[in-house]
Amino acid sequence: MTRLLALLLCLLPATALAFGLEDLQRQLEATPSLEGRFVQTRHLADLDSQLESTGHFRYERDVRVVWTLETPVEERLEFSADSPPEVAAGDRRQAEAAALFLDLLQGHWQALEERFTLTLSGDASAWRVTLRPRQAALRQRIEEIRLRGGRYLERLALDAANGDRLRVRLSDQRAVEAGDATP
Amino acid sequence: MPPPDSRRRLLAGLWGTILLGCALLLGWLLRDGLPADTRLTAMLPEDRRAPLVERADDQLGQAFAERFVLLLDAPSLAEAAADLAATLQAAGGERPLLERLDWRASDLADGGPGERLGESRYRLLTGEVRRAIDADGGRSLVAPALRALFSPAAPADPVADPFGLRDRWLAARATSPVQARDGLLTVVDDDRSQALMIGHLAASPYDLAAQASLTSALDAFRASHPEATLTRSGLVFHAAAGARQARGEITTIGLGALAGLLGALLAVFRSPRAIAQMLLPLATGLLLALPLTLLLFGRLHLLTLAFGASLIGIAIDYALHLQCRRAVQGRHFRLPSLLPALALGLASSLVAYLAQALTPMPGLRQMAVFAALGLAGAWLTVVLWLPRLRLDAPPATARLARGWWRRTGPRGGLSPRLALVGLLLVVGLIAWRLDTDDSLALLNPSPAELLAEERALQALLGRDTGRRYLLVTAADEPRLLERLEGLGTTLDRWRDQGAGFTVHNLADSVPSPARQAADLERVRRLYDEPLAELVARAGLPPRTLDRARARLEAVPLLDVEAWLASPLGRHQRRLWLGESPDGVAALILLTDLPAGDAAEALDSRLQALADARPGVTYVDRAARLGRLLGELRGQIAGWLGGALALLALSLTWRYRGRTWRVLTPPLGGVLGVLGVYALAGVPLNVFSQLGLLLVLGIGLDAGIFGAEAEGRAATWLAISLSTLTSLLAFGLLAFSATPALHYLGLSCLIGLALVWCLVRWAAPGTETSPAETADADTP
Repeated sequence: MTRLLALLLCLLPATALAFGLEDLQRQLEATPSLEGRFVQTRHLADLDSQLESTGHFRYERDVRVVWTLETPVEERLEFSADSPPEVAAGDRRQAEAAALFLDLLQGHWQALEERFTLTLSGDASAWRVTLRPRQAALRQRIEEIRLRGGRYLERLALDAANGDRLRVRLSDQRAVEAGDATP
Repeated sequence: MPPPDSRRRLLAGLWGTILLGCALLLGWLLRDGLPADTRLTAMLPEDRRAPLVERADDQLGQAFAERFVLLLDAPSLAEAAADLAATLQAAGGERPLLERLDWRASDLADGGPGERLGESRYRLLTGEVRRAIDADGGRSLVAPALRALFSPAAPADPVADPFGLRDRWLAARATSPVQARDGLLTVVDDDRSQALMIGHLAASPYDLAAQASLTSALDAFRASHPEATLTRSGLVFHAAAGARQARGEITTIGLGALAGLLGALLAVFRSPRAIAQMLLPLATGLLLALPLTLLLFGRLHLLTLAFGASLIGIAIDYALHLQCRRAVQGRHFRLPSLLPALALGLASSLVAYLAQALTPMPGLRQMAVFAALGLAGAWLTVVLWLPRLRLDAPPATARLARGWWRRTGPRGGLSPRLALVGLLLVVGLIAWRLDTDDSLALLNPSPAELLAEERALQALLGRDTGRRYLLVTAADEPRLLERLEGLGTTLDRWRDQGAGFTVHNLADSVPSPARQAADLERVRRLYDEPLAELVARAGLPPRTLDRARARLEAVPLLDVEAWLASPLGRHQRRLWLGESPDGVAALILLTDLPAGDAAEALDSRLQALADARPGVTYVDRAARLGRLLGELRGQIAGWLGGALALLALSLTWRYRGRTWRVLTPPLGGVLGVLGVYALAGVPLNVFSQLGLLLVLGIGLDAGIFGAEAEGRAATWLAISLSTLTSLLAFGLLAFSATPALHYLGLSCLIGLALVWCLVRWAAPGTETSPAETADADTP
């Protein structure tokens, strides 16, 4: 009995030290502004074909993400918590999708936890978060979302319920001073 | 022929048997409870031209009646909302208050826009897309479609919907301000989000038990969350407020009146037994009237019950006259000497009320029949039963009668010339200044704060119950939708020109087949060149093109039924009336209208629009109900005037030259009230006019009995008691906060006081002293 208790006591600091979602959020929040490059692959199950796009991005925490496409088309998309990108004006679904994308990029676990069950594995240098929808309505669209990263978020994978797969790879990331004007 | 006494005994027995039969019939009719009707419109004339308008009105009001909406504002919203929901769901215990409560985001989650909408998407274009295709074939739509394809935050479906037509169309439909947030349904007001709850009542909003459990549930919640604020909307809150007010007034005004009434009767008769005998006729009157009216009309309107029972109250006059005469004359009392006046009193009231039974107003007809039956029943009990019941008349009553007669006598009598001058003056005053008021505010006893909450909430939700609409009919659905579209175009143009209002039009969601066909053609153009460009620039495989185009082969038409069955279309069900005698019908609802002069200008513009087009009627619900109330008021006045003329003629037969004296108390009372209203600037409304009916009935009795030469002191005591009891019973209602009761009471208060003053003054030969013991034969 005493031995068991001692064992438990030994384990306690170990659990306290374990890498949790809060730690991860703190780690991500340490960088208020970030820029880098992206490669996005969309696999369309229905057509059995790939859509690949590349470009660079710049992201200001809690404000917005500017997503600049370079290939195959040149476009500038801006997502912010208040105004969704002008894909279809005023569409609530679009707004929700944009809000979800922002939450994923920023690691807003609290907001995400309302709609997804979250599981975290790994440590601060190599972590992995898996999200599964809680509600049936959302499960009809999204099967699973996986995030991977170290100091920054590096990979985002979204498996849609209809078989489509979205993969986003972020690279060459570096912190920037807020207000730095790099398009 | 049997002697008179045994004949009377036979009649009394017969009357008892009839009443027993009535009691049995009533018990049988009420085996499932009272079939009562509370709709105001059921009281009003059957507007034969507009049964569809009735249906539309009912449909628009239905949601308001069956549901209630709460907005909750609290610091920790999620917790407070969960508490409130739990409290409401537990309310009522065994008989739950709610059938359903929507409060979580998932309660209204739309579970996809529906299969049918997805299939019909190529026929449904927003104005923006339509204009884009018309402008350049749709090239300008390629860029946003590309953006969507490569955006990490947008669904991409290049085969089924490369241009996102469905999402664009749905986005234009979903205008509800309700948002899902933190798992709750919320509405944002000034940057604060408030939780929304929609309760679906299990019982009628008028159900007292339901009102009580809702009120106590909300009170309990407020007590445990003093920091939270609730905003309420729904008929149940107004009904509860009305019921609470009525209860409060019954305990103050009602009990006060009852105490005063019993006190006065006790002071005169000094015997509870005499008072019980006085109330017996009223009870038997109701016993006769209730089952027979139910049998004749099938159901009883609550207003009939309320006003009809009041009118039957006039029957206490007969009992008062009989008992007073018996108390004063003691053993010398003989019924036949009183019978002519009793008979005339009944006949005059019956004529006055039955005249209304001939009107086209079902409500009035029911009320008239109910009151007439009740009066007749009470009268029969007075004549057949009361003389047989022992009355211990103390000598004090007789003394009181004589003293009262002496002390309250006026100095001189009323001369015909003075009466005529007074009549002309008052009539002139009335014609010059009397206003009328038929506004619906009279029917709305809700406290101002509740009305303010109601307005605030409906404005926030953008869903007012809809007071103005265009009723549109056509032979079939396609033609109806075309008409709706035409009207929608005109209204949109008005709005572009600056007229501020919101239009709820079914044709915005379900375009006419012609427009759907035209839009499908547009999509075919869009899928030609522009789609090819999109596929090429996106680097999609060429087979995408063929597969996307193949989807345009057999696109089903979206019809009204499919739309209304979809989750989004559910909200528009109130706009669809469906089958009508001339085909099909629907509404265009107008909300958020301007106030004041702008509203009037818009009203006449809408009226002109409706007049200029076939199958379109413009309806302003408030104005229409007001007009119906006005009609009701006008009809009552007209028939009453006719009945009075008829009465005057028939009274001449008995009273000849003295007829004007008989008519002075009732007419003077009624005209006096109108004169006071004219002077004070109080507009006449349907309820003050119903009060005048009471004044007329009591005044007529007073005039008739007052004009009888015999038993003056006893008669005067009876008249005084009759006006006093009616004053207590109805006049005190003038202090009610419910507008309807207040106006009824005000008329009674002024009118009955005037009647009492006029009776002695107008009675013939007041200068001669009364001969109390004379038992003269009546002519």
